[in-house]
Amino acid sequence: MWWGVGVMSDLQTMLWKEVRELLAVRRSLILFLVAVLAFGILPAVALHGHHAGQGRVLGPIINWFRLGYGLFAALFLGLQTAPDLVLHERTGRSLDYLLATRLPDWAIYGGKVLTSALFAYIAGWMALFMQLVVSALLDGRGWQWLYLGQADTRTVALLVMAGLALYVSVLGTFVAFRVGDQRTAYMVSLVGVVVLIVPLVLNVIPVHFTASWMTHAALVFGLFAVAVAVAGLLLFRRQMLVLYLQE
Amino acid sequence: MEAIDAAIELSNVSRRFGSREAVSQLTLSVPQGAVVGFLGPNGAGKTTTVRLLVGMLNPSSGGILVLGLDPVRQGERVRARVGVVLDQVGLYDRLTAYQNLQFHARVNRIPASEADRRIERLLGRVGLWERRGDHVSGFSRGMRQQLGLARALLPEPELLILDEPTAGLDPENIVHVRELLRDLADEGGRTIFLCTHLLDEAERICSEIAIIQGGRLRAHGAPHELEGTQKPTVRLNLRGLRTASDLAGLPEGMVLTSLGGDEWQATVLNPDDVESLVASLVEAGVGVRAVTPVEESLEDVYMRVVGGGRHE
Repeated sequence: MWWGVGVMSDLQTMLWKEVRELLAVRRSLILFLVAVLAFGILPAVALHGHHAGQGRVLGPIINWFRLGYGLFAALFLGLQTAPDLVLHERTGRSLDYLLATRLPDWAIYGGKVLTSALFAYIAGWMALFMQLVVSALLDGRGWQWLYLGQADTRTVALLVMAGLALYVSVLGTFVAFRVGDQRTAYMVSLVGVVVLIVPLVLNVIPVHFTASWMTHAALVFGLFAVAVAVAGLLLFRRQMLVLYLQE
Repeated sequence: MEAIDAAIELSNVSRRFGSREAVSQLTLSVPQGAVVGFLGPNGAGKTTTVRLLVGMLNPSSGGILVLGLDPVRQGERVRARVGVVLDQVGLYDRLTAYQNLQFHARVNRIPASEADRRIERLLGRVGLWERRGDHVSGFSRGMRQQLGLARALLPEPELLILDEPTAGLDPENIVHVRELLRDLADEGGRTIFLCTHLLDEAERICSEIAIIQGGRLRAHGAPHELEGTQKPTVRLNLRGLRTASDLAGLPEGMVLTSLGGDEWQATVLNPDDVESLVASLVEAGVGVRAVTPVEESLEDVYMRVVGGGRHE
């Protein structure tokens, strides 16, 4: 019980700092706004006049298209935020200080990954919300919540987006701890995401837009993202960072 | 809590980075409550030693005990009881001065009301209370250093480790930090491990001095003990010499420095030779105006130990 209280306390402490730092930077807020607006307005404008409920063939495709943009928003924010949370500490040398505190390794790592993942996840949801608002304004047909009533799209919106935000945040955080350069961290994380898509594009894993397949895929991907996060946690060592700083 | 004699105990500690040995066979014991000046030139191994002490690095060999705890296996417990100011203070520029200390209080699980009380007291002490709401990005280097010290003191640590707390500061800020360090030393009850390049300061506030070079401990002891390790030198003030070559026929064992005109200062390397040298000088018609014994200062000791190497 005491261990649980301690764990939450250390994690909360890191989250407290990370969120304050993130919100104090204009660049983070601008990126957030750009992601929400770009991935919210563009698809809504592109799909102006077409509605998920209008046709049996077109409807599901439009739903996936909308959701895809939501995933892009989460991906974009995660790729930017995760490395930044680490790299500004490296350049400002506050990472040295952080490593000299009593905070355990997992709290330092977990605080950064969770902050980035949460920020990306919220951006994804905000982009979806923005799509609905813009669609309603353009088409005047009311709120387009329809796809969230379907199990497959809801699963993707909730789970795949969360898995993607976590996966990207883990990659970005870990790579930034190792390489110390924003562009490299961004590119390596992007490659990590592209690698995920390759089996789907090559049809090694055939995609089926059905509720059962999507649910199954979302669960597998969610577990994979968690496994990657745990692997990162096990590999993370404060001494590894000190050695890098010492070089 | 069990009683311990030494706040820091290093036993044959070595730390290698590839083929380079940053710390080599370092053995050092720092008693509880001591104020230790850890001196050495750049690259001597001071920062590596600090990182070893707080468990940021593991030693390649040897054993370390800090407050009776092993930083390798009990790093979290060591860091909870030690206040550290690293060579780069590492404040969060995106947070205010108050938030920086608030974060450190949370890290050390200090209850909020107690934390607020301590933060107010410490920011007042370092003269930053009025600037508590400002982002640290706008702070001068001196203010950052002061804030770093306040942060290290916040959890009221038993051991305070300071790595070059005055490095890069202007003279005014050096004085401020120096006064704070003096106050901390005078308060007593807390062990202070001070890596510094300010030899006079180390001499004034430290109860012990350790000099490290090339990763090895070269000297360790109370300042007066170290200063007494060498025979005192003697200085002669001379008049009536036009050039140093006027003394060509006299015995060796003096180093001459011109003071302008026909006045010179001679440092006699071996005090046992003073009488015969003075007699020879008088016989040669050189006026000896003063004979002054000079005790070796800490700076002399330092220069002798590090082989005349450059100060940090």
